[in-house]
Amino acid sequence: MRVYLFGFASDDFLGRVIVTPDQRTVAQLADQLVAWGPAPERGGPVTVRNEAGDILDPAATIKAAGLGNGDIFKVERR
Amino acid sequence: MVLRRDDWLDLARKVDWTPRYVDERELFPEEISGRPWLTHDAWRDWNEAYRTTYREYVANQRDKDAAVLGVRAALSKPRLFDDLDPGWVQLVKFHNGAVALAEYAGAVAELRMARFGRDSAWRTMATLGALDEIRHTQIPLLIGHDLLAHDGNFDWTHKAFHTNQWLILAARHLFDDMFLAADAIDLAIQLNFVFETGFTNLQFMAMAAMADRAHHHLFEKTVASIQTDEARHAQIGHPVLRTLLENGSRERAQYLIDKMWWRCWRLFLALSGTAMEYLAPLSARTRSFKEFMTEWVTEQFMKNLAEFDLEKPWFWDLFIEELDYAHHSLQLGLYTYRTTLWFDVAMPDRAERAWLNEKYPRWEETYAALWEQLELRWEAGGEAGTLSYGLPALCNLCQLPAVFIRPGRNTACTLEMGGRRYLFCSEPCRWIFQQESSRFADHHTVVDRIVAGQAPGKLTDLHRWMGLEAPVETGKDLRRGLDPWRLDPVPTA
Repeated sequence: MRVYLFGFASDDFLGRVIVTPDQRTVAQLADQLVAWGPAPERGGPVTVRNEAGDILDPAATIKAAGLGNGDIFKVERR
Repeated sequence: MVLRRDDWLDLARKVDWTPRYVDERELFPEEISGRPWLTHDAWRDWNEAYRTTYREYVANQRDKDAAVLGVRAALSKPRLFDDLDPGWVQLVKFHNGAVALAEYAGAVAELRMARFGRDSAWRTMATLGALDEIRHTQIPLLIGHDLLAHDGNFDWTHKAFHTNQWLILAARHLFDDMFLAADAIDLAIQLNFVFETGFTNLQFMAMAAMADRAHHHLFEKTVASIQTDEARHAQIGHPVLRTLLENGSRERAQYLIDKMWWRCWRLFLALSGTAMEYLAPLSARTRSFKEFMTEWVTEQFMKNLAEFDLEKPWFWDLFIEELDYAHHSLQLGLYTYRTTLWFDVAMPDRAERAWLNEKYPRWEETYAALWEQLELRWEAGGEAGTLSYGLPALCNLCQLPAVFIRPGRNTACTLEMGGRRYLFCSEPCRWIFQQESSRFADHHTVVDRIVAGQAPGKLTDLHRWMGLEAPVETGKDLRRGLDPWRLDPVPTA
């Protein structure tokens, strides 16, 4: 199922809407957000958290990570 | 012998009567006159400082109009744009679109109080206030019309509030809440006490000071003239607030003030903050937006609260933190989504960045890299590389992009209610929504509408849906990429 989420990357100035199938992984979700941001070419590790601040398993699917329509996720780029 | 003014004024202003055919509650229904519903005895002493008579009003307004029209005539139309900085022209276009028809809505609000205000002196002042607001609509429409021959986008002075343009939807959402969908009491607190007493000084007096330095004397005269009216009819708020406090409604009064302070802050950082520090030429900047806010808004508001023994809003610390960042964050949003605006947007040049860093010591470390990234993208891939094409997350209360407070410290949060998840840019926006959820829950942001298929998802169609005819009307980079500090200049003839 496609879900829409609100993503916030630590090096970006703006929350962005991401529409994606919920069978994709959290790591793919983070990549998708970073691709819209100001410095997609900069690689490096990321940490993905939900609104409550819990770290999400990058290998888990979006659905398994508990993210659904209208949820926030945050990508910390180091 | 002619009576002295003070001998007859109360006879003319205090004309309340005892209704015989309906009772007082029917004459002034709570739904539109406001709560708490009090008998007229509670309002009998309603008064304000100006106590203007109609005769005085007409004489004063005639003089004010003559002054504005005199400057307009002196600066004959072909010379209206002479010597104006290009950024300043965009500032005026932004201001006119956001303000002109909001003033007209203000006339409707004043007329509501002119009918449903609970004391005749209040109703008299509101009648004059309605005439003020009609004048505040007519003047920018007139000036905007004069400018049409030079720049067709000045038709947004009239057009903006008839469109679905996202920034205007944000303004309309606020103004509907503040006064068009408010009863007379809430209106007096929200519009007169908070918005007009607290904030309009910033838009009108600070802008007048800047207009003087930008050599736009017609704009200076116009906004200064408007503010003298605002200062008078804003006085409606004080006696209404006093009556509420004297009659056990302290909690309600505090809520209305807190709510409207936050909502006005959101609007003014978007409108005044970005315009003052990214469109006004450096030579016109007397003080920073933060300095204006601190001196003209915050300090004055504190005095007003102290006068009534009211508390600072609970989110005050967040507001103070945002003063250093919020409008700078939004400017990045305006710039990268500029094709969805009716005015051009500037990327700050080297001198402006130095000024910003002087006024905001953390500006460089917070924002410089992002602007430099945009420069690099322009260099590598042309202007298209500096635009955002994805959808921004919009707040379900203020309707602005969730850019706050700053990169790396985003305060966005959500709320699950009625099977729908709502997004907010900050805790205060969520708190306001929760207090009156039935009022706000059915509204959909532009992005909600796109996601639900109620608005076009394709950018070119979305432009049209927002009333923007691309590429003629859509906002552009102010300097069209011609700044020597950025890139090799585009060859010209």
